[in-house]
Amino acid sequence: MEDILYEPNKYLKMGVAIWPRMFRELAGSRELIWRLFIRDWSARYKQTALGYIWTIVMPFIAIGTFMFLNRAGILNIGPTGMPYPLFALIGLAVWQLFATGINSGCNSIVTAGSMISKINFPLEALVFASTAQAVFEFLVKSALIIVFFFVFRFVPSWGIILFPLAVIPMLVLTLGLSLILSLINGVLRDTANIVTILTMFLMFLTPVLYPVSTDKSILFKLNPLAPLVTAPRDLIVHGRINDPVDFFISSVLSFLVFFICWRVFYIAKTKIPERV
Amino acid sequence: MANVSINAESIGKKFSKSLKHVMLYGLQDIAGNIFGKRAKTDLLRENEFWAVDGVSFKLEKGERLGIIGPNGSGKTTVLKMLNGIFMPDKGRIAMSGRVGALIQVGAGFHPMLTGRENIYVNGAILGMRKKEIDKKFDSIVDFADIGDFLDSPVRHYSSGMYVRLGFAIAVHSQPDILLVDEILAVGDAQFYKKCTNRIDEMTSQGTTMVLVSHNMWLIQSMCQEVILLNKGKVVKFGRPSECIYEYSKLDEAEEAKKAAEGKESKFLVITGIEVRDSGGEVTGEVDPASPLNVSARYHCRDDKVRGSFFIRLTTPDGYPLYTAHSGVNDLLKGEGTVTARILSVSLVGGEYRLWAGVSDTEKETSIYDAKQIKLDVRPIASYPDSKRGFFVNKVDWNFE
Repeated sequence: MEDILYEPNKYLKMGVAIWPRMFRELAGSRELIWRLFIRDWSARYKQTALGYIWTIVMPFIAIGTFMFLNRAGILNIGPTGMPYPLFALIGLAVWQLFATGINSGCNSIVTAGSMISKINFPLEALVFASTAQAVFEFLVKSALIIVFFFVFRFVPSWGIILFPLAVIPMLVLTLGLSLILSLINGVLRDTANIVTILTMFLMFLTPVLYPVSTDKSILFKLNPLAPLVTAPRDLIVHGRINDPVDFFISSVLSFLVFFICWRVFYIAKTKIPERV
Repeated sequence: MANVSINAESIGKKFSKSLKHVMLYGLQDIAGNIFGKRAKTDLLRENEFWAVDGVSFKLEKGERLGIIGPNGSGKTTVLKMLNGIFMPDKGRIAMSGRVGALIQVGAGFHPMLTGRENIYVNGAILGMRKKEIDKKFDSIVDFADIGDFLDSPVRHYSSGMYVRLGFAIAVHSQPDILLVDEILAVGDAQFYKKCTNRIDEMTSQGTTMVLVSHNMWLIQSMCQEVILLNKGKVVKFGRPSECIYEYSKLDEAEEAKKAAEGKESKFLVITGIEVRDSGGEVTGEVDPASPLNVSARYHCRDDKVRGSFFIRLTTPDGYPLYTAHSGVNDLLKGEGTVTARILSVSLVGGEYRLWAGVSDTEKETSIYDAKQIKLDVRPIASYPDSKRGFFVNKVDWNFE
């Protein structure tokens, strides 16, 4: 029989002791996260005729457009070290893990609706489950990339084995930002719109669809997302990360952001049912 | 502390009145939490009000508490605090055991998924592991009684099936503390019986229960103690019949206030009931042998009203013992008095309620207004009491 205690500022009073509790609760909700993920996943694809094929169609269209623009001389990308469609696809896959992740994460609490104000369950599970959707799409695109390796007769370097590891900081950053954004969006609904516009804008400021060019490197030095996108791609093309220091800094930042946001979420989540 | 299931000490919850403040204070609170600042929650900021203000109670294992009160009195908020959805802004709540709630059935149901799939989703949200759900799966399906629809998408379910399935899952979560809020309003009579039986089973096995309802019958039959809330404060704490009576008085007080302010919601209002003894004095106590003289004063706002006056004797829980109608008559506009005389009270000693009211006809399809007073019956030697039954009479026995 566990004892429960509810009082004002409960979690703030706990101080550091809150961390083991947070981890325990997350571990305890892994089944719930899985169930919510399966629920949204199967519901999403039940309503369409083509099912998860839609996940693949979008990148195809984007790449096709860029190939066309490149060939037509309108867009001059320059050498990327691999067939351009592959280059763009890898970049997009990693970027969209982030973009779709924080966009759906931001909305995850609000879409749950009345469930939040009537049932007591760990709210983190909603955010984690929505990020899981983005992870799923990433995996589908990764499979597509492998298929394209054969189509374009491109042989990746051995660094490809480390590709999944190199994507982890991006995933962790996505989770962290999703947690804090879902919180703020619960109170201020504009947040979702701001995030949508921001991610669209950021995609052009990050070397997703074009390579890092050495003369404009100041811009990329300032963008913490840049190394998170280029490093996994570099591993596939060159077998090594071109700017390991930048990647390291971005990774550390990502983990820091995640832990801070997770803690804030945990402390503030009791306020959510009141305000949503 | 070992046997205490729930201990709520002077709990309170405040809310913002305007949406603007909801957003503003929401952001302020989140920012405060980021910087580790402890909010002074027991003060009211601008445009905030106390929805629950200083409610205390203590329940031991297996006890059953009812919470009643007018809309907006804070009943559901208290329940949400017990459920861990809202944190109290003042006071504290200590509970031991697993908490389960029959508050929103079918939480997390997705219309596109089948009943079977939704059982797992809802079960997970309620905190059940997959193994637990697997074990209880057949029992859940049996309770829900949805037949072949189990493998159909939930969007094709009728509202009754939806509730039955949701309830079936919730009822299998086997909590130590059960919180129930008005959900039994949906569903047919047969299912209602199933649910109340199941709740009875759980409470007899030691589950502590807190029930919020407007249904006085339910409160009366299920709860040992009741709290009456009004405007966030505890007005009365005690036996169900006492609190229910107090609640009706609250209602009447509200109506009287409205009538005094000229905002009468009813065109006909009973303004007073009196019982007089044989000397003509007003009394609250009679004996079985005497006649019952009832007079009721009323105020009628409109012209050309026709109705039947009635008096009704009930037990304190409202179980009707005897009703007498005057028959349909014209009622005059303005103030009036109606008297009724029952030849002999003939009731066993004890506490009763006497209602006086007006309805459209003897069939009581529509009751215009009715008020109650307490009536005590004092037993006398010539009319011996029996423990079995409500009525006494002088009986002539003959042995041949």
